[in-house]
Amino acid sequence: MKDLVRQNLSIHVDVMDLLNKQIEKEAHSSSAYLAMASWCDHNALSYSADFFYEQAAEEREHMMKIFRFINDNGGTAYSPEVSGVNHDFKSLEEIFETALDQEIAITKAIHNIVGKCRKLNDYTTEYFLQWFIAEQMEEEQTMRRALELFDLMGTEGLGLKLLDERIPQIRDKRAE
Amino acid sequence: MKVLHQSQFFTSYQCDKQRCFFIEFPHKTIQLGFCQFLAFRQQVKEIDLDSHFNGQNPHGLEMLMLCNRQHFFVFNTLECIDLKEFITGSFAMLELNSLLTNSV
Repeated sequence: MKDLVRQNLSIHVDVMDLLNKQIEKEAHSSSAYLAMASWCDHNALSYSADFFYEQAAEEREHMMKIFRFINDNGGTAYSPEVSGVNHDFKSLEEIFETALDQEIAITKAIHNIVGKCRKLNDYTTEYFLQWFIAEQMEEEQTMRRALELFDLMGTEGLGLKLLDERIPQIRDKRAE
Repeated sequence: MKVLHQSQFFTSYQCDKQRCFFIEFPHKTIQLGFCQFLAFRQQVKEIDLDSHFNGQNPHGLEMLMLCNRQHFFVFNTLECIDLKEFITGSFAMLELNSLLTNSV
């Protein structure tokens, strides 16, 4: 009997399911960043707001990268539903801490898919995900740098405003 | 045409010549391309069996449209349970075939 699955699909079906779940996670992450951007905008933290707008766009790009990869390789990508996005935050510090937790969760999910790829000998997807592993490392570093600023500068009085002005630099540093 | 998997109500077949699959339902047989088979699998996966028993889906029916809305099916609870097993079994057989093809 012909291997019709392999003729039509370059990736493993189980891995395709995990990638579709990852699409949902990236979409949720993008929306969560958008909510954070909105909170920052409302609290006159415009540099942080811009930072999170960019983060939201970046997460959507990640989502689209996976989306296209699935379809390009013969699978079916599913457009994700996003619900349960939190808009309530207590402080900017809480937002960056939540952002770091979110990035860690995404990293774990990517590592989990890579583990599955190795188990199922899906080298195509494993190779594709290498970019995401490096990207997640950078994302986590960026969020940690932001949290370090809170330790260094504090948020009393003008501290918060000065800290907000330093936020674009944590991204610039990443680009170097 | 070779049988892939058979459950209580449904049977799947693979046709090498036409490079497609067939599913035999109690009242008709339909032809599916691989992508359509994948789409069917997704629809079946999304059936929430719990809702059939906790009152959220009191009529216990699921409606699925397949192959670009060419076919419309209504399944009762028993058929839905069987459908989940059927899809899992069919794709397990496809994977087994892939493993066998690789090892030859």
